[in-house]
Amino acid sequence: MNTALLLQVLFAGLSIGAVYTLVAVGFGVVWGGTGAINFAQGEYVMLGGVVAAVVLELWGLPLLWCVLIAVAVTGLAGLATEIAILGWGRVRSGEAITLATIAIAVILKGVVMLATDRQTYGLPSFFGDAPLRIGGASASTQMLWNLGTAVLAVLLLAAFFRTTRRGTMLRAAADDREVLQSFGVSFRSTARWAFVLAALLGGLAGAGLAPLTVMSFDSGTLLGLKGFAAAMLGGLGSPYGALAGGLLLGVAEAAVAGYGAPAYADAVAFVVLLVVLFTRPTGLFGQAKVARV
Amino acid sequence: MTIIRRAGAALVASALLLTAACGLGQSGSGGGDEDNAPIKIGTLLSVTGPAANLGDKMRKGAELAIDEVNAAGGIGGRMIEWTFYDPAGDTSTAVSQTRRLLDNDGVELVVGGGSQSGIALAMDPLTSAAGKLFIATEGARQIVQPAESHPLTFKTTFNDTAMVERTIEFWKARGITRVAFLPDTTSFGQSAAEEMQRLAPAAGISVEVAPFDPGTNDLTPQISRLAANNPQAYLAWTTAPSGVTFLRNVRAVVPDPAVLVQHGFGFVDDRFFTQAGEAGVGTILTSPKLPVYDLLPDSDPQKAPMAAFADAYRARYGGEQPNVYAGQAYDAVKVAAAAIEKAGGTDGAQLAEAIETLGEHVGVTGVFRYSAEDHSGLAADNAVMIQWDGTRFVPVT
Repeated sequence: MNTALLLQVLFAGLSIGAVYTLVAVGFGVVWGGTGAINFAQGEYVMLGGVVAAVVLELWGLPLLWCVLIAVAVTGLAGLATEIAILGWGRVRSGEAITLATIAIAVILKGVVMLATDRQTYGLPSFFGDAPLRIGGASASTQMLWNLGTAVLAVLLLAAFFRTTRRGTMLRAAADDREVLQSFGVSFRSTARWAFVLAALLGGLAGAGLAPLTVMSFDSGTLLGLKGFAAAMLGGLGSPYGALAGGLLLGVAEAAVAGYGAPAYADAVAFVVLLVVLFTRPTGLFGQAKVARV
Repeated sequence: MTIIRRAGAALVASALLLTAACGLGQSGSGGGDEDNAPIKIGTLLSVTGPAANLGDKMRKGAELAIDEVNAAGGIGGRMIEWTFYDPAGDTSTAVSQTRRLLDNDGVELVVGGGSQSGIALAMDPLTSAAGKLFIATEGARQIVQPAESHPLTFKTTFNDTAMVERTIEFWKARGITRVAFLPDTTSFGQSAAEEMQRLAPAAGISVEVAPFDPGTNDLTPQISRLAANNPQAYLAWTTAPSGVTFLRNVRAVVPDPAVLVQHGFGFVDDRFFTQAGEAGVGTILTSPKLPVYDLLPDSDPQKAPMAAFADAYRARYGGEQPNVYAGQAYDAVKVAAAAIEKAGGTDGAQLAEAIETLGEHVGVTGVFRYSAEDHSGLAADNAVMIQWDGTRFVPVT
């Protein structure tokens, strides 16, 4: 047994799995708040990575500032998404919002393509480029950052849902939006919270991903789909499920790349998605809603 | 003209093709008497979509060449009228746009194959059936091979065969016998993988292959698996930005500086290497000569044309550096112009014969020597081994 390869597969899987986790959590939040699948989620990740790198390239600010600005800009994009769809568009049903997010995704991608002149952007690793060496395998220090932010985001979000008034409302919205509205909670304010939160998480994921690869206007779509697969695997709406789904998916991809046929590594997510949809549509940690008639 | 105007309106309405609209704007001024009727050239390049970065450079290169030809009074007094469409990396869009070029716009020849080999391969049957000359700016050798079944189709890019041969020559000179090869899963990478597996064993080089998806974010599992055989060189073959990930990952897994890290000719781009930072320094690439033109000896026949091209490109596009993709498209237009001049018309078969008998055409990408058997025109001796020194490409010493 080659332990170095095993460790390498594990590190690579956790490193990218952490990014999938953040994307998956974003899907869960919007699903809970609005009953929609937010197909712009992947573009938020792209925006976070590109903005962080552009800020670094244009103004040479310290990395922490680049990341904060990127997360803030992406948060604004989330706010704009909500205003465009629910404000101007007056869309309310989950299905219609889902469709509208596809339009937002296309617009975001187009705007970034024109604004960046189709360039690719890179970011240095937050803790320097020297890799960690553990048991003959190498891990980027960026992996630790990504894992840390993913776990922290999941814990904070779980606490937010459990203990705060706003979090309780979001949870209640996930359960039954109409009852919540009859208690006088506006659909738009829950939706706004959901989209902004999801965008902030996406921006964080993008800024954390950029040092591992390079980002361009085209980076988001595939990440969005994989994050969606991770969310479905873990159970849509459950933060812990997103963590489990994201990391599992990341490690499964890396294992296929390391031991199996590397050319098919990117298909793993979609096979997983199909299997989950066929066998356990609520995911590993999701609960089926029981309807009494 | 109404057809062009209507096509233009449709494009503008799609609100994606700002650059295409510019191209159409130029093509609007046609007319004139019979003898000086403009030569209609149609071009497809993906300036949006996944290959947008490449396509944009190609469009600029082609545009520069057309402007130069027209500024010099056209070809035998006939100006070039250019019709440009953007298939955005989509083959089915490209097919319908090619039909529109041939049927509605009435172009006399087609230059540029959509910036992707797959698109160029799909365009070839249409242009051939219409009896029109097609000069592709894409890489795959299948676009022009075998030449007898592609009599009217040429290209101005290296066949990967030539590039793989040049790379193997380099390994032999360095005494390298164990190589790890990571092609991406596109036709660009897979075609090179076929050639590598065909040619390397004869040269006494053992090659382990691990393909990767161009959208990947981490290559360490593949690299770790290949590292078990202690290869003396790692070579990636891709045009995708994930080539930067390859550079970072390979240096993380294999820090030993004696092990070579290499890229193919699809990755010759300053920007990618700037983004790779430390991990990219020392990377060796098999490349056309353009990136190092100013460091070549004055005796090189290509030095002067490359310098002229680079200066004109920078002046035209606000100081932007030209790359090999811009050079390929520029060459394609210039080869077409030379052929029209020689043939004295635009009949497909006559143009093809003119290109096959051009002799040596000194271009930006290389010295083209087309023949009835070779519609790519570039042999391995046009390629050079170059190295990224941290700030620019330099010839390998």
